[in-house]
Amino acid sequence: MLPLSARAPQVGGLKRAEARFGIALVALPLAAFTAVILYPFVDALRLSLYRYTLMTPQPVFDGLRNFERLAEDGEIGPIWVNTVVFVVATTAATFVLGLAWAIILNQPFRGRTIIRSASLLPWVLPSTVTAFIWAWILNAQYGVLNAALLVAGLIDEPIAWLATPEGAMSGVVLAKTWLSVPLFSAFFLAGLQALPLEQVEAARIDGATNGQVIRHVVLPHLRTTMVVTLVLGAMGNLQQFDVIYAMTGGGPVRATTVLSLEVRRQAFENWNIGLASAVGVIWFLTIAGPAYIYLRSLFRQG
Amino acid sequence: MLDLASRRAQFVFGSIATAIGFFLFFPLFWMISTSFKPEAEVFRRIPSPLPIAPTIQNYVGALTRSELPIYLQNSLVTAGLGALLTTVLAVCAAYSFAKFAYRGRTALMLLMISAQMFPFAVLLITLYPLMDAAGLLNTRIGLIISYIVFALPSGTYMLYSYFINIPTEVIEAARADGASELRILTVIVLPLSIPGLVTVGLYAFMWAWNDLLYSLTLITDPSLRTVGPGLLLSYLGESRNDWGGAMASSLIASLPVVVAFALVQRFFIQGLTAGAVKS
Repeated sequence: MLPLSARAPQVGGLKRAEARFGIALVALPLAAFTAVILYPFVDALRLSLYRYTLMTPQPVFDGLRNFERLAEDGEIGPIWVNTVVFVVATTAATFVLGLAWAIILNQPFRGRTIIRSASLLPWVLPSTVTAFIWAWILNAQYGVLNAALLVAGLIDEPIAWLATPEGAMSGVVLAKTWLSVPLFSAFFLAGLQALPLEQVEAARIDGATNGQVIRHVVLPHLRTTMVVTLVLGAMGNLQQFDVIYAMTGGGPVRATTVLSLEVRRQAFENWNIGLASAVGVIWFLTIAGPAYIYLRSLFRQG
Repeated sequence: MLDLASRRAQFVFGSIATAIGFFLFFPLFWMISTSFKPEAEVFRRIPSPLPIAPTIQNYVGALTRSELPIYLQNSLVTAGLGALLTTVLAVCAAYSFAKFAYRGRTALMLLMISAQMFPFAVLLITLYPLMDAAGLLNTRIGLIISYIVFALPSGTYMLYSYFINIPTEVIEAARADGASELRILTVIVLPLSIPGLVTVGLYAFMWAWNDLLYSLTLITDPSLRTVGPGLLLSYLGESRNDWGGAMASSLIASLPVVVAFALVQRFFIQGLTAGAVKS
């Protein structure tokens, strides 16, 4: 990764006209960024301090009342827990499977090139499609998972996976994991390809087994990649809306409602903008930790 | 890297590879297989792996009796132009950050890249009334402009990594020859950065094509609906049981991104993973 200051032009040797062109170049993206990303973000944070609902269409300053309302209401706690469960389970599963798949794809075998390309497919598909595929596999009456378990004699009656809180959460975790393993393994594979083979050979000469090679050579080499992948993955999972919304709509009875779904529900179903913004603030505080680690690694390296 | 000479190592490796491979590919196989099954075969408690009497009726139905063609058209326009807009903006910002010096440059870049972590759903809270006030709610233009949210911050960073590697001497030499700044950008810098441009363009296109949240919220007019919400609303509710149709429509809706991806995937993976690997 590149540090911001590395190889940047020197201020002293630069002509004014060049700097002017540089500023002119950045003006348009900056204007778009401010209007569509920065201002909406800051404004949403501000609105968390206002009463702003369908009944009060003009925002009225309300202090921390929205946060108090959230606390009294008692729903935000379980939603936050849902979010953490979803993010931790999905990120961990994706991490393990992505790493294992990258190590597998790094071994030479026939048809490897095709498998490498094809295994990116789950990541490319539209999120609604991902949700459909998994909802169909997990379908209570005709789903193939139930069929397989029935044939294997593991269950006697089909299970309505998405109708129970635990089943629905497992379902969305499964779908999101499926969707993200390709990206994680692409990152790990790129990291593995930069691994000097001499290191592996040296370990072999010392009599290292496969497990030892992975533990003492491969994993230390992938350290940076692992940090970046974990943080980017966790941030992405915290953002996740599409697959969960399309698969379960946040149900049954809010069991898969995460912060992203709650913000949208408060803002665009209940039209309580102030409350939605307060949920957004809680969400932002949750995402800020991993984001800080990521950005620090982005700017300190190199 | 691994030593697979022993039987035991081969067995362990083979089992793990098969298990993960099955997890990744079976859902795709199942989508394709279901999409070619007649209704009677879709609704069987113990289904057959492959269609017994394959049919293309699900595809014919999706393309003629549903709104899918309209959704596809809308997605092509909004995702295509959204990706173009994102790429142009990211090029301007990244080139400026990489090759020009002015006060506040670093802070500005830090701010733009940090925006990756702004939750998309939170932005909508203000974006919605903003679009409403500008008369852009329920319009393609409004959606196209909103789509810069997804990939402008990360796209700027990806292109910055490309531009910073272009030797400043090349640019200086062109300047000495009297080339204008704009000419240097279009004739020298951009041709050298095609893999980066393709990566950012496709990345933005994929995000926009796969989007559900923004399109669902900012567009309510059925004739302007894109594939994400279009598919969801078509197969939710009473017709939810048409799984053959849902799988055929899903496959059709996935084709544009899959084809685009297949054409440029080598560039793409390089560009995308470049930032995460220690050089």
